[in-house]
This record gives sequence, C-alpha cells and structure tokens, in this order.
Amino acid sequence: MKYFKKQQLIKLIIAVFVLVALSEASCHKINTPDIVSGKLIFTFEHSVGENSLQIDTMKYVNAAGNPYLVTGIQYFISDICLHKANGDSILLDKWNDIHYVDTDLPETWDYFLKDSIPQDDYSSVSFTFGINAEKNKSLLFVNPPESNMFWPEYLGGGYHYMKLNGKWRDTSGVIRLFNVHIGIGQIYDSTGHITRFVQNFFKVQLSSSAFSIAAGQSVEITLNMDVNEWFESPEIFNFNVWGGGIMQKQVALHIVCLNGHNVFSVKDIKTLIHE
Amino acid sequence: MKKVIFYISVIELMAIFLASCGGNNKPNPVYKPTPYKIDIPFGFPTKLNIPADNPMTEEGVKLGRYLFYDGRLSGRTDPDSMMSCSTCHIQKNSFEVGINNPRFPGGFPYGITGKPTPHVMLPMINLVWNSNGYLWNGFVSENNPNPNFRNIEDIVRMGVVSDHEMDGDTTRVKQLFQSLPGYPELFFKAFGNETVTFKNIERAIAQFVRTLISANSKFDKYIRGEVQLSQSELQGFVLFTTEQGADCFHCHGGYGNPLFTTNLFYNNGLDSIFTDPADRFGVTGDARDHGAYKAPTLRNIQLTGPYMRDGRFKTLEEVIDFYSSGLIQTPYVNPLMHHINNGGVQLTPQEKYDLISFLKSLRDDDFLTNPKFAKPEKFPDEK
Ligand code: HEC
Ligand code: HEC
Repeated sequence: MKYFKKQQLIKLIIAVFVLVALSEASCHKINTPDIVSGKLIFTFEHSVGENSLQIDTMKYVNAAGNPYLVTGIQYFISDICLHKANGDSILLDKWNDIHYVDTDLPETWDYFLKDSIPQDDYSSVSFTFGINAEKNKSLLFVNPPESNMFWPEYLGGGYHYMKLNGKWRDTSGVIRLFNVHIGIGQIYDSTGHITRFVQNFFKVQLSSSAFSIAAGQSVEITLNMDVNEWFESPEIFNFNVWGGGIMQKQVALHIVCLNGHNVFSVKDIKTLIHE
Repeated sequence: MKKVIFYISVIELMAIFLASCGGNNKPNPVYKPTPYKIDIPFGFPTKLNIPADNPMTEEGVKLGRYLFYDGRLSGRTDPDSMMSCSTCHIQKNSFEVGINNPRFPGGFPYGITGKPTPHVMLPMINLVWNSNGYLWNGFVSENNPNPNFRNIEDIVRMGVVSDHEMDGDTTRVKQLFQSLPGYPELFFKAFGNETVTFKNIERAIAQFVRTLISANSKFDKYIRGEVQLSQSELQGFVLFTTEQGADCFHCHGGYGNPLFTTNLFYNNGLDSIFTDPADRFGVTGDARDHGAYKAPTLRNIQLTGPYMRDGRFKTLEEVIDFYSSGLIQTPYVNPLMHHINNGGVQLTPQEKYDLISFLKSLRDDDFLTNPKFAKPEKFPDEK
C-alpha cells in the first residue's frame, strides 16, 4: 500500500520535474543543460547498535556505561550533495528544501528530493546535519512541527539541529532525564555574557553510498541513525558528566557533533524502475 | 493563502448557482457571503485549521458572535436557566471564567445542572492555529477516529448537550432559534438557508471562535520593534528561553513560536499518581502520556487563573514556585522537564520576579477589549 502510493507520487514528481534544469543546484557548479534525470528518495530508520530503536524502554547502554532509554528524536537534514568519481559534485537542494525527521511522525520518515537527479554514476552522498549558517535563521519555519524546533534567539537563534530526548540511570541508580539538544553554541566570558556564537552544523560523508541513476528511475537510499554513535566515537559522552541539558555547554555540543559524523550509515540502496 | 482563494471561489460558485435558481415571480434575496480574511500576524503560522466545509465568512462570523453570547443556546428562555458559551468563556479573562467570577467561585465552572466540568477552563485564543487537538487532552482532533470529535464545530455541540455545560437538546435549540425573529435571516445570509440547522449553529460559532486572535501584547510590539521591554521583562524573557535559566520555551514557545504553546501534551511533574481517565493517556493509550496534558498558551496568562487543568494554583507565583523547586519525579515525567534532576529550575527570588514580569508582558489588552469579540449590543430579535 505504502509502496503503491510512493510509486504514484514518484511518477507525479517525475512528470513535473523532468524538464526542469538544475539551475541553482551545484556544490561546485556544473553545467548540464539537457539532462535526462531520475529521482532520489531518502528513508530514515533509527537503531541502537544492531537493533532498531525501541522507544521508551530502558534497555540500552552507551559507551560510557550509562543505561538509557529514548523517548523521541527530531532533527533536520539539509544540503544533500552527490559526488562523482571525477571530483565533480551536485548540491541537490533548493533553499527551502530542508528535511525534518521526527520519530513520532511517520510522514517525516521519507524524504522525496524535489530536484531531479541527472542520469549518471555517483560515487558517494554527503549532507549537512542540521542547517547551515546561511539558512539557519529564526522564523525560517513558521508552521509546526518544524517551528517547534526553534532555538532561542538569545542562544544564537535559528533551529535545533536535533532534539534527542530520554532518560538515563546514574551511578547511584537514580533515573534522570536528558535532552541532547544541538544547535548554535555560545562562548561565554567570565561574567556569563555571551561573547560569540559557534556554528555547530556539520557535514556527514556517507560511506558505501555509491549509486547509479538512469532516466525515469528512482533511487531509494535507506539511512540508519545508530543512537549509540552519538555517545561513542571519537569521544565518549557520559551523561553523568554532562547532565541533562547541553544547549549552553559548547564543549559538550562539540563532542556530540564530532560523534555525529559516524551516526548515519547506508542500510540499503534500491532502484525503482518506471515504464 | 491558496486555501483562502479556493474557499472564495467555492462560495462564489454557490452564490451564482443559488442566484440562478431564484424564482421568477418574487425577487428572492441573494445569498452572497463575504469571505472573512484572517491576517497572519508577524511570526505566526500560515497553516490554519479551518475545515473545508466551513469556510469563514463575515456573515457566518457575525451570526456566530450572536449565538456565542445568546443564553438561549441552552434551549431555554427562562432568565435563570439560560447559559451561553460566554457564561464561562468571558472576554476580559481571555475567554475563561476568571478566578474572581461571582457565579463560579475560585474560577471552577460547572454546568446548568450544577455538575462541575472535568477540568478548569482553557483560554479561547489563537485556536485557528491549533492542529494538534483541542481540550486539555486533545480529544477533539483530526486524528479522532470518530468524525464527531474533530474540530471546534464539535465542541459547540458538546458544550450544548453535555450535562456539565448546557445540558441542552440540539433539536430544541434549533427550533428555538428558528422561532426568534431576525435569526433565520442571519442564517440565510451566512449559509444560504433560512432553516436553522444545528450543523449551521456549530459552523457559525466555530467561525466566530476562529476570529479570536491575540497578537498585540507588549511582547508582540517588542518583537515588531515598536516598544522596548523593561529591564525586568527582558531578564525574564532570557530566563524563559534559556535551558540553564527557567527552560520554559520547549513547551511554551517564544520568539520562534509566538503562539506560546506547542499545542502538544506533556507530563510536567505535578503529581505522583495518575487516576484521571481524561488525561492524554486516555486518548492515545501511549505509556508516555500518563498524566500528560496540553501545555496551554501563556498569552494573557495573568488573567487565566486558577492554573493547571485542575486549578490547583491560584497565582503565577505559585506556578513559578512549582517549576522552581516543586517538581515530582515519576516514570512518566517528560524528559523536557530534565531540571527535575535538581527538583526544578531553582530560581532566585529576583529571577522569579523577572520571569513573572515577562509573563505579564504577554497580556494583550486590545484582545481583551476588542469590541468585535464582545457581546453584541442587541440580539437580532431585540428592538
Ligand atoms: C460550563 C462552562 C462552559 C461553557 C458553557 C462552555 N465551555 Fe468551552 N470550555 C469549558 C471548559 C472547562 C473547557 C476546558 C475543557 C477540558 O478540556 O476539559 C472548555 C474548552 C473549550 C474549548 C477548547 C479550547 C482549547 O484550547 O482546546 C473550546 C473551543 C470551547 N470550550 C468552546 C466553547 C463554546 C463554543 C461554547 C458554547 C457552545 C462553550 N465552550 C461553552 C467550559 C465551558
Ligand atoms: C515539559 C513541558 C513544559 C515545560 C518545560 C514547562 N511547562 Fe508549563 N505547562 C506544561 C503543561 C503540560 C501544563 C499543563 C499541566 C496540567 O495542567 O496538568 C503547563 C501549565 C503551565 C501554566 C498554567 C497554564 C494554565 O492555563 O493553567 C503556566 C503558567 C506555565 N505552565 C508556565 C510555565 C513556565 C513559566 C515554565 C518555565 C519555568 C514552564 N511552564 C515550563 C508544560 C510545560
């Protein structure tokens, strides 16, 4: 059922976009006037280690040894970029094409890219986790659910890149609540005043993400977020050290964002052929 | 915007159709309602919750306002037993009963039968932007499998029939309004038919309720660059929107969400046991929702005590003391209340004062006194 609907949607999108040239789209501009193209779809899944994420069950342990559970994850993905073996690349997104994923909202788990993909072989895919500095401005989204991701003006404005909420058990066995919320960080002086902001968005380069696309094809890439990876490498993140909230702790934000480079992996690449 | 244009053309088509069906002998009045335009205030969502079968019109809103204030909506005409929406939803209290209400001591409303409402009031403010569910537990929402509990139209019916509100009968109500001179004509102007139906009563009142928009508090003027906040209000705003401060914004909004609510449901650490069958869990059956209720908007919060769904706090001071150090830890508390690890956000007396100053800057006097939202001077059958 879901597959059928998706197919129809894809057909529609192809019909609308097949003649649209990729005028605004380039990481490094390439000129492709008469392209024959297909479509790209990302599907988001979430796991802890090997097993798919189960919400609200205290059965996970991170690298720091904190037993924990997750109640929900919300985040933004943007600036999808396709790389080629010859070093060329194409930035796919239009300005307004920032994708929101929410573990509570199934309709956000699929991301149909608006741009058409020129027929070609691609060696890898990268994207921005969060929203880049140029776009991450307050009131970019006025409608929920995205607007509920706003990051306070006073703390740098724009939007949370991610809210990862849950609970952990501390060393004395007490259950505590955590919000791993990442976004623009702040540097404070000794009197507690903010002296500058730090853009923490980062680029995720996906390994094993090569694919080919031909005219009229749709490629569906399933991405998996392994929640444990946020706490694991290169630096161990320990809830007992950082506590329940990190929005105003740039050192902790930095650790989480470093670890964020490894949280996504390609789980599957499928080619859907039409007519 | 597109939606609005669509409604307009639907209405025009209806008008043309009806006009062309007009009889040849006597000149029938023409049904040509004027679309009601909602201006989106700065920073507000553009997505409106208006059902496709009830487009807003000037005529519908006008009729809705009469009905909202008319005590005969209870189906009764005896002055002692009349009840209207406005018996409980009073403009000067942001459409709540208010804590100093002579009829409902302490701000605890009850119906015509004397039966108390299951929860205290919610304000009636900016509801056209709520798509996540109405009432404290969000029972009335697009996601309700029962099509009779999906939007404000349905709340009108619930208000008329329920024994803790008007305890009325929809047939009697529509017959009563049919018999009141002036009303059938208003129904024609709004809906193209003089015959009063309960559906059209629901539609008209819901249209009026959707016009109740507040976007002109001191804080709104501040974000539009028109006025400056006091030092204390500014400090309070910083506390409100910082995680290491009072950490209110995740549930109650701020600059990036000027509704001052997410319209979502949370357990915010008020209780140790959960026995209310009408909490969010009662709607979703999701274990995360035990003891969860909608985070109400904080606009006009100064006027809408008593606070929380059971009215347990009389003053904002009590509310802030609760968030500061009175939180109760249970397995159901929402993680966004993570300061519960320390019993609360731990504010100093000065910080509490500043936070309350900020909350008071959300009072919108234009809304509370807007004549368009007030009781009409006369009802249609009054000379
Ligand atoms: C007896 C007092 C009373 C009367 C009369 C009454 N209401 Fe209410 N109303 C309430 C209470 C109490 C609530 C909160 C109920 C809850 O969620 O448990 C409420 C909630 C609402 C809400 C939902 C607000 C939100 O944010 O979800 C709407 C809309 C509403 N009423 C409209 C009306 C209309 C329209 C009428 C007239 C037909 C009406 N009410 C009559 C007491 C009343
Ligand atoms: C986790 C989400 C959450 C956070 C954070 C939060 N609230 Fe609330 N708030 C709620 C919920 C849910 C209710 C209603 C609870 C109930 O009645 O059971 C509420 C109720 C209120 C009320 C009473 C509203 C009314 O109409 O009765 C006020 C005032 C309030 N909160 C202010 C604040 C302030 C100030 C802060 C920051 C110190 C804050 N809240 C933080 C969720 C939250």
